[in-house]
Amino acid sequence: MKKKLLILNGPGLSDLSVYDEFYGNISLETIEKKSKEVCKELNLELDFRQTDDEDELFGFLLKDSEKFDAVIINPVGYSHALTAEFARYRLAIKTLTLQKKPVTEVHIANIFKQGSDITKPLQVPEGEMGFVSGLGVYSYVIAINAISKKLNQHT
Amino acid sequence: MKVYVINGPNINLLGTREPEIYGYETLDDIAKKCIENGNKKGIDVKFMQSNYEGELVGWIQDAIINKIDAIVINAAAYTHTSIAIHDAFKSFSGFKIELHISNPHLRESFRHITYVAPAADAVVAGLGADGYSHVIDLLSDLPIKIN
Repeated sequence: MKKKLLILNGPGLSDLSVYDEFYGNISLETIEKKSKEVCKELNLELDFRQTDDEDELFGFLLKDSEKFDAVIINPVGYSHALTAEFARYRLAIKTLTLQKKPVTEVHIANIFKQGSDITKPLQVPEGEMGFVSGLGVYSYVIAINAISKKLNQHT
Repeated sequence: MKVYVINGPNINLLGTREPEIYGYETLDDIAKKCIENGNKKGIDVKFMQSNYEGELVGWIQDAIINKIDAIVINAAAYTHTSIAIHDAFKSFSGFKIELHISNPHLRESFRHITYVAPAADAVVAGLGADGYSHVIDLLSDLPIKIN
């Protein structure tokens, strides 16, 4: 049976015009198109979503979790915020990893380059989780390749 | 395209050191796969490992002198301590990827600071030993300036 992958994009990712030219003319549409191509090659069923609504974001992750086998999430600021939102994100990811669903966090830009505080630790949730940051649309591609390999090992 | 894959301390123990975290593949297995995958895509991969911080710095400087196009570095424990590697890495103008087999941010708090990542273009972590070949496979698709 075809494995199902959820790619979930968080608040603000509908407009990618802020990214510099290294990433090319990147848009959510080009990311979706490329992700679809790669998933097709790897025989994965793709559900590609974006939401600006926090409740909807966590709803997709938790309430719909029986509908997919793996998740790639671009959480935007959630991974480096020391806030209640981060606690919520952490819990959602932990729930997924406890269900043995492979999860990889992706970012378009290298988030470590943003901000000058080199010693500020990045907040990433517990549990097994991959992390790719700074490869533009290829952050998604590498995550899909890695998740496909992981899903094939599990079966 | 010419690429250096530089590995730091204890990576030579792969396959035997805490395999539940780092996997059962040895560094030789990974090196072989990277060089093979690189060859298929016309990428010249040089794979290195050292337990000495200064040697890692030296190899980054060699990459500058030899006009290498990209560096993939797994500085291992030095990631969290080495300003020398940070400085050398900053001086390298090619494409720079920090790589980790596990995800350091999910482990002990002393691994949460990275001096390498802010000097890098990209970070790939937690994809297991396969992370190396996933990165090599993608290099030719990235908009990397070739010397």
